[in-house]
Amino acid sequence: MIENALDKLKILADAAKYDVSCASSGADKKNNGKIGNSIAAGICHAWSTDGRCISLLKILLTNYCVYDCSYCINRVSNDVQRASFTPEEVADLTIQFYRRNYIEGLFLSSAIEKNPNHTMEKIYRTLYLLREEHGFSGYIHVKTIPGADPMLIHKTGQLADRMSVNIELPSTKSLKLLAPQKSVKKLMEPMEQINNGIIQYKEEKRHFIHLPKFVPAGQSTQMIIGATKDTDLSIIHTTEKLYNSFNLKRVYFSAYVPVNTGSNLPSLATEPPLKREHRLYQADWLLRFYHFNAEELLDPSQPNFDMEFDPKMTWAFRNMETFPVEINKAPYEMLLRVPGIGMTSARRIIRQRQIANISYDHLNKIGIVMKRAKFFITCNGKFHGQLDMNPEGIKEKLAPKPKFEQLSIFS
Amino acid sequence: MIYLYDGSFDGFLTVIYEHYYSEKATAIYRKKDYQIGLIDESKTIEADSVKSRKVHEALINKFSTETLNNIQYTFLSCDRNKDTYLLHYIEYGFRIGKRLDFDHTHEVVLPVHQLGKRVSFEVHRFLGLLRFQEVGSVLYSAIEPDNDIITLMVSHFADRLKTERFIIHDKKRKQAVIYADGHWYLSDFHIKEELQISEKEKYLNALWKGYFKQIAIKERENLRLQQQFVPKKYRRNIIEFT
Repeated sequence: MIENALDKLKILADAAKYDVSCASSGADKKNNGKIGNSIAAGICHAWSTDGRCISLLKILLTNYCVYDCSYCINRVSNDVQRASFTPEEVADLTIQFYRRNYIEGLFLSSAIEKNPNHTMEKIYRTLYLLREEHGFSGYIHVKTIPGADPMLIHKTGQLADRMSVNIELPSTKSLKLLAPQKSVKKLMEPMEQINNGIIQYKEEKRHFIHLPKFVPAGQSTQMIIGATKDTDLSIIHTTEKLYNSFNLKRVYFSAYVPVNTGSNLPSLATEPPLKREHRLYQADWLLRFYHFNAEELLDPSQPNFDMEFDPKMTWAFRNMETFPVEINKAPYEMLLRVPGIGMTSARRIIRQRQIANISYDHLNKIGIVMKRAKFFITCNGKFHGQLDMNPEGIKEKLAPKPKFEQLSIFS
Repeated sequence: MIYLYDGSFDGFLTVIYEHYYSEKATAIYRKKDYQIGLIDESKTIEADSVKSRKVHEALINKFSTETLNNIQYTFLSCDRNKDTYLLHYIEYGFRIGKRLDFDHTHEVVLPVHQLGKRVSFEVHRFLGLLRFQEVGSVLYSAIEPDNDIITLMVSHFADRLKTERFIIHDKKRKQAVIYADGHWYLSDFHIKEELQISEKEKYLNALWKGYFKQIAIKERENLRLQQQFVPKKYRRNIIEFT
């Protein structure tokens, strides 16, 4: 049994580090207790050596687990150091870290030590201590334990800002292969419950003044990328479905880092597919903010993203007949589809057009990436790209330069 | 005429008043930054609260909240030409009105937008990167930001830590905001001796450092990306980097 808090913290942070979510965004609230508030944009407090943002104290309550999911470091059959925190310890640590502005709040997850209810109860107890005893109004994100009593999940949801259920893998088939003890149905149940709770809260809020909030920052989920043979197309389809049917705030992707050996798993020497993860996040962005559908981004004949060009660019290459777009006339939605134009620059174009016509020299200052955009736009009727618009020619101009190798004269 | 002033917002607004009611300004500088030359004619303006209030009211009536924010943030920028940029921006604003910021690419609007954005970015960055240490019954933090941002940060922490007492010390400008019992004020500030750190505080520092180290995924190491987010110049005041 490990008693030292520092050792416990190391073990339980290490066990939680593959959880992707670090967001502290989505809730804007003042301090209505003794300590803590949240701002809608979220705040990152530090960046670890892997370049990922640290915004929340991200830990497991325990890494003693009864499950044996093959991709997971904490599976019961692994010989790793085990430790548990008590709810009191987690609550105290959160407050002490928060006061020093190390963190924006808590991200609490857990392995299943005995059964789902036992674990969910401990999570609820931690939140209760933070909210009621410490008067903490900062951000709390908790992992819902599938299979726990719905009443317990509901009570926890009244104290949390965000809840998430990890669907772990992008398809039923993959889940069967790597986590046979989990079922899609069991994972979807709490997701549906939380979504219904949020909808119900919004309904009732119109009639009652004092109503406990319910998961005000919404729910999220995450899935592992590259541990199975799922294509980007099926991942993006699943993602879209999750946004549409459960109103998820975020779907996170996590490039699989091999931690275990197994006949159904990639070998330990496999590099995490970081570039692929990046492309999926770009595509996710296009779904959420750029009014794209999954079918527009990929199709069965091309089920994976191009590693050389981003998803918006590849969409443009496949839809050359839509271009060029006239900067001084195009509606906002169309501007958003031009490679090199983002949400900020599209908004600026719309605003500036109310004052005066936009000239070619202005485009840089608006923040448009002209290197990419010039092939897809006209400005006051004039095209500034190549003479003819063909994808191959543009690709050649935009392709990343191959890195040349330094030849050694001694070899 | 080049106007020189004391660096206060009141002083700056008084200069704007003089620009409209006396001689036109060609440039505005803070007196302590300006090297008096032989060719340019310059004049020092004393802050005058009656004149500055008149200008302030005019700004509030004429401009959008967005513009007022841009003026405030740009004023706190470390750029030496920021006062002159603001002069031209305000002048153009009095002609064009509430839609001033729509004209993003205009030569007098763009520099103000750029400086304002840089300041607000730094404020946001320091809301995360600032670290408090418990010293006695006070939470103390030291920062060395490029821009003069502590007054823009304090309300965030005043709400967040409303039952605590805290000090945010700008070591570069030798100033601090001091918060206690629901109120804060800005003061000149310096510390004579090294701070005494308690054993408990040292232990919590160690806990945080241990956590910080453990949370990184070795297989994904990317120090360049980390440095993009936490530039080296900030690291000496951030506990987990020391």
